[in-house]
Amino acid sequence: MRVLVWIAAAALCAYGEHRLHALGVTTKGWVVGAALLPSGVFVKKADGAWVNEGYRHPLLTAMAWLPGKPDTLFLAAGDGVIRIDSQGRWRVLTDETVTELQDISAGAGGLLAFGHTTGFQVSEDGGATWREISAGLPRRYGKAIRLDRLHRGRVVIGTENGFYVSDNLGGSWKPAGAAGFQAMRVEQSPHEASLWLAVTQKGGIFRSTDGGRTFEATPRDPAAGRNLYDIAFDPADARRIAVCGWGPGVLVSEDGGVTWEARNQGLPRPDVWSVAFDPDKPGRLYASVHEEALYVSEDAGRTWRVDGLPGSIILRMAFVPAGGAR
Amino acid sequence: MKKLATMALAAVIASQSVLAQDYEQRRRRLIEKMARVDDEKLHYHSIAARLWLREGIPGAEKKLRELLEGGISGDMFWMFPMTAIAYLDRGQLSDSARALMRKSWKAYYPFRGDTENHWLLYYTSMYLMAQMWPEMDGEGWFNGKSSKENLEEARRWIESWVKLTTTKGQGEYDCTHYIGVYLLPLSYLAAWAEDARMKKQASMMIEWIAADFAVESLDGIYVGSHARTDDRQVVEKWRGVSADFAWLLFGQGKETPPFGGYSLYYALADGPEPPAIIRAIATDRSRPYTHLEKKRTRNRWRFNDELHGQVYKTTYMTKDYAVSSDQGGVLQPVQQHSWDVTWRVDDPEGVHNTLFSLHPYSGMIELEEYFTFSPDFGTEAVWRSKTTYDSPDKLLGGSPYEKIVQSEDAVIALYDIPPGTRFPHINGFFSKDLEEFVEDASGWIFCRGGRTWIAYRPLAPYVWKPIEGGGRRLFSPYLKNGTVVQAASMDEYPNLDAFRKAVLALPVKFSLEPAPRVEFRTLRGKTIEFAYGQTPRVDGKPLDYAGWPAFGGPFLQGKAGEPRLVMTHGGVRRVLDFGTLTVSESRAARTK
Repeated sequence: MRVLVWIAAAALCAYGEHRLHALGVTTKGWVVGAALLPSGVFVKKADGAWVNEGYRHPLLTAMAWLPGKPDTLFLAAGDGVIRIDSQGRWRVLTDETVTELQDISAGAGGLLAFGHTTGFQVSEDGGATWREISAGLPRRYGKAIRLDRLHRGRVVIGTENGFYVSDNLGGSWKPAGAAGFQAMRVEQSPHEASLWLAVTQKGGIFRSTDGGRTFEATPRDPAAGRNLYDIAFDPADARRIAVCGWGPGVLVSEDGGVTWEARNQGLPRPDVWSVAFDPDKPGRLYASVHEEALYVSEDAGRTWRVDGLPGSIILRMAFVPAGGAR
Repeated sequence: MKKLATMALAAVIASQSVLAQDYEQRRRRLIEKMARVDDEKLHYHSIAARLWLREGIPGAEKKLRELLEGGISGDMFWMFPMTAIAYLDRGQLSDSARALMRKSWKAYYPFRGDTENHWLLYYTSMYLMAQMWPEMDGEGWFNGKSSKENLEEARRWIESWVKLTTTKGQGEYDCTHYIGVYLLPLSYLAAWAEDARMKKQASMMIEWIAADFAVESLDGIYVGSHARTDDRQVVEKWRGVSADFAWLLFGQGKETPPFGGYSLYYALADGPEPPAIIRAIATDRSRPYTHLEKKRTRNRWRFNDELHGQVYKTTYMTKDYAVSSDQGGVLQPVQQHSWDVTWRVDDPEGVHNTLFSLHPYSGMIELEEYFTFSPDFGTEAVWRSKTTYDSPDKLLGGSPYEKIVQSEDAVIALYDIPPGTRFPHINGFFSKDLEEFVEDASGWIFCRGGRTWIAYRPLAPYVWKPIEGGGRRLFSPYLKNGTVVQAASMDEYPNLDAFRKAVLALPVKFSLEPAPRVEFRTLRGKTIEFAYGQTPRVDGKPLDYAGWPAFGGPFLQGKAGEPRLVMTHGGVRRVLDFGTLTVSESRAARTK
């Protein structure tokens, strides 16, 4: 286990500094066909300013990059998988049959996988070609997906009816838990590969300690009955995890996801789309509050202050190793 | 006899020629009206109109530059006017303006949207612009794909949509607004696609949609039910894009503003006038008829085993009124209109010539079925563009707790609303334009709209509430509820009392517990038995949903699952066969 922790930590630290990327829109009340204020990918620069990068795109839901290759980003977008290369060029990698992506994940060896409205697809060549991996699933709404970072072939997905796991890259699936609840997000601990966390619509927080094979409901879950949207493991503290949602706001666990505490002091409303820990600043936590702003905390959510992006809906945030993405 | 037949044929040809001339006149009138505005009032549509007319080009080019350099927005609603401008240019714009247009397809990223009308606009525009600039590589396009890739992808999507629509029915079916968003791109493809197959397919789809409208057009008004309409059009039924097209294509109704601009772009693309048989279907109301249709829901992403649900429509049409319905339930997430009585009026502007009821349902699970947004924001996201979606007073939308049956001009709608449901009541729309109105001691409400008598039997107590803009809302807060409606023409009953007596003589039995149930003998002599949640029976036979036709009636016929529409009228038979991509027309031999 110590070896795994060391590998994970080394991977995180290999690039030294990271840049925070935020995906969303800053147009309150936007509807399709209307004028867009800045939207799409926002990057927080070294001086703290937020810059809108690339095209204005109203519906980006997740991002990923291949291990060791952060100069190319893969976005889960409303109209497909978008690749942004080191020159800032955008290309849609999928065809007309793929719509409204919900999540995307990357693994070693050019492995990419996404979930969208009618299932899950995987690419083994960095997005050049894709194949469907939804066969055998009773329902296919592809809400969440993560490729296991250590076990090639293992993939955990979340559908409208709970979580499923495959050990052969979608060749076959087994139910993994939270049946009856729509999955919202699933993440693997960067410290301990066997620890996974999943959040749901109204079902609360689920935890797996066997590598994503089975997820168990969290006792005394403060979020049960509400909708949770995101999960962030603290790269600097193996026991600290944050989740967020509408109603619960930001919840932080200091014991590896066993117990949770609401940390919303200073947030204007407890409706939060995304959370992210800064890998370079221990204790720094970001939270995107619905149509208010992006908020930042220096003490793991105990106190908050405005960081920027007023009026925004930021659906996802991610720290990308510097030197890669612009 | 031979001479007579020749004379008759000559007369038909002559009348067609006059009608065709009328169509060209209407088309040109529309274009001229849009083009001949002051330079400072120009926008994409008026620029395109000037290019078509080949006049006022310097002002048009100046405005085009301003628009393209001033910040583009609109996604596919920007793409389609730009496509028209590009194709109507025909050497009139400067090279630099053309280069600016080309650059804009790289600099601006138009989102593809999330519905079929968005996608048809998007892929039609991509297809035609990729065709115009065939050698561009991915560097030239916002999405990084080459012209060849974009053209091929667009072709695949358009063809898959045609196949889906002609075999399973249209998803956004019979829409008062979105009919324009389908006819417009199809007119582009029919006019500007270089590929003969694409061109033919598009022109056939125009006929398909025009015929689909024609058979449910009451003097230019698209009668219910609709997959999507809006708050204004659901009561002032004339105020929709369908009315623009009824005027342009069929010469029906009155000239409209036009409401969405789609008929203008159809005209600019030299969109074809429908063949005479479709105009005849749109205008022949000499005899009442029942028309059936099978459609489908839009994509149901979640909580369903099938991507599309089935929609079973019934329309009864007369020269004075129409009654139309679907089977009830949620068939579209937001703007569904399930049933109504629509009566004809001479001038529909400002007139609410309709009557209906509904359960004003609003629910997140329903939205999640059809949309991908997150649950907490979903209702608000809809409400921002569809402002009454979450209003208890609304007059628009389907409900999972409404079930409907229709036999000719009688409709029964039953409601069984679970306790705790948001907005636990029924709204009945009673127009400000009803000319006679009696709440009878029997429990029936009798009224008249235009030349149409309407009997409305609420199955539970109610009160009246005012409606902003006129009229009143029948408000009934009973969860087990229902409505029995019977319409008739003034030709049949000279006055309200005669109609009242005829209806009161009809046997009607109903119960609301444990679930609503009605047995009703109609004015046409049919017995309808309908229990909530069960297959309705007419004259003892259950409705044959399994055998429901894609089109079934005196004018249009088509089997579900077969990409074939047969039109028949006045001895003429016209067949659109998408399997072979052929159109054939024949005239049956006359028999005595």
